[in-house]
Amino acid sequence: MTRPLVVLTIAFCSGIIFSRLCQVPFWAIFLPNAFILALILISRKTMRALLIILAFGLGAIFRVNAYNLAESHVLRSKLKSHLVVKGIVEDIPQIRGNRTIFPLKVEAIEAGNTARRSCGTLRIFLNGRPDFSYGDELILKGRLEKAAVMRVRSLSDVTRVSRNKGFFLKRVALWARRESGIRMQRYTSSLTSAVLSAMVLGEKRNIPWFVNNLMVRTGTVHILVVSGFNVGIVSFTVLLILKLLRVRRDTRFIITISCLIFYCLLTGASTPVVRATIMAVFFLSGYLIRREPDIYNSLSMAALFILVFNPGQLFDIGFQLSFVSVLAIVCLYPALSKLIAKYFFKKGWVKFLIDSLLISLSAWLGTCAFIAYYFRIFSPVTVLANLFVVPLATLITLCGFSLVLISLICPALGFAFGSSAEALVFILLRINASLADLPGACLKF
Amino acid sequence: MFSLTRQERQVILFLMATALFGTGIDFLVKRYSPERRIPSFGQNIGRINLNTAGPELLEELPGIGQKLASRIIEYRDQSGGFDSVEELKQVKGITVYRFEKIKDSLCIK
Repeated sequence: MTRPLVVLTIAFCSGIIFSRLCQVPFWAIFLPNAFILALILISRKTMRALLIILAFGLGAIFRVNAYNLAESHVLRSKLKSHLVVKGIVEDIPQIRGNRTIFPLKVEAIEAGNTARRSCGTLRIFLNGRPDFSYGDELILKGRLEKAAVMRVRSLSDVTRVSRNKGFFLKRVALWARRESGIRMQRYTSSLTSAVLSAMVLGEKRNIPWFVNNLMVRTGTVHILVVSGFNVGIVSFTVLLILKLLRVRRDTRFIITISCLIFYCLLTGASTPVVRATIMAVFFLSGYLIRREPDIYNSLSMAALFILVFNPGQLFDIGFQLSFVSVLAIVCLYPALSKLIAKYFFKKGWVKFLIDSLLISLSAWLGTCAFIAYYFRIFSPVTVLANLFVVPLATLITLCGFSLVLISLICPALGFAFGSSAEALVFILLRINASLADLPGACLKF
Repeated sequence: MFSLTRQERQVILFLMATALFGTGIDFLVKRYSPERRIPSFGQNIGRINLNTAGPELLEELPGIGQKLASRIIEYRDQSGGFDSVEELKQVKGITVYRFEKIKDSLCIK
């Protein structure tokens, strides 16, 4: 068995599923696991089965512990109660109409006459439009509601204690994200800048509902999120620039890995980006230490990394689609390609076309059951749509990246890239609309 | 086992052991750590500072309209600011009843 991480990850995921299905107390899983670990350590000759059981137990333990709220956790406070909360803004606040929404990492709470240290994250809904940003330390007075939401009546119920707290690198990344968004808005229309922001920065909030709807119907909504493709573009560009600058091979890989981590933070570290970043880091590290990287092991590593931090992600649709689509491409594409090779002569453009179609088909075959289950949609047009949409999305993403960089170096050229992006987004939407109108393109049930 | 070298096996076992015992300790800390009291920090949150509030903010108080808000600001400008919340009673139109209704929403900084 040359892929130990794959087996251990499957066992870890099974443990998470098990603990969700059966409400087992923490110690009932922990003690047998400690016993198994002791057995492995004593008996020097490690048994494969014991290691798999240990990974299974770890999955279950991680999930139980993740849902075990600390005694001081803010969500242990009574619902509908009025609290005074002190904490740090964790992301760029979103402004919707006259309301500001942002996550707040809680440090202390005061209820009645007692103030105490606390932890947890609250989603703050504040009436008003303050100029808060990531890292601001605030004191707020509001009402605690369901789903970790706190409503704050007005700006007079908020005081900013200090600025610039939080993780320095994330602060810089969020600043870069805001600046990039501003540049996109400056050179393109609101629709195009919304599409560019989604594709380049992972900022999906401003996408109009009709565009999102259209993409869902044709099964191409995946292009509106930052994923492995964008991570690939960033690593390729950085590696190319460093190679042109004659930077040493090892240094080149280390700088690229640092840039990828920065890009991951810049895009808000969503599941597909984290997955793609870990896979890319795994691959680049493999080259760095001169070991052949394996895609299954790197995919498992990415899944383990995400699940260790948040085991609940296993049941998240974004996580499932992200991993299933990559797995489907990795498993199905070579098999389909081999099968097709018997009947078609693949060379030049024909090869490119058939390969694109097969990759799209593999991803669709892998994800269609999940999409049908979650969204009650079955889109046979997806395979055809991806043939047109993916190359266009590639061009739009490249245009977006270039627009941000060019507007920094030579702002006068920004309009050229902006206009190109406008045209490409227009074509993208027209093609999507035409494909969505085809008979039997999308079946809803 | 899994075609791993001795060092790789040791690393995996070390990581698993650390994860297991780390989670156990984290579970205990979450469950049994005592409540850590701190000095009050939110006494004046949500209260309007009489020495800096503008007319719009003052008008949010119950029973205070445009006229009374401008009288409060006028008094503040003439006297050089309020020394205490009680001093608000000196403003013409602020009756005892009105003051009792709004005093908990005010502060002096």
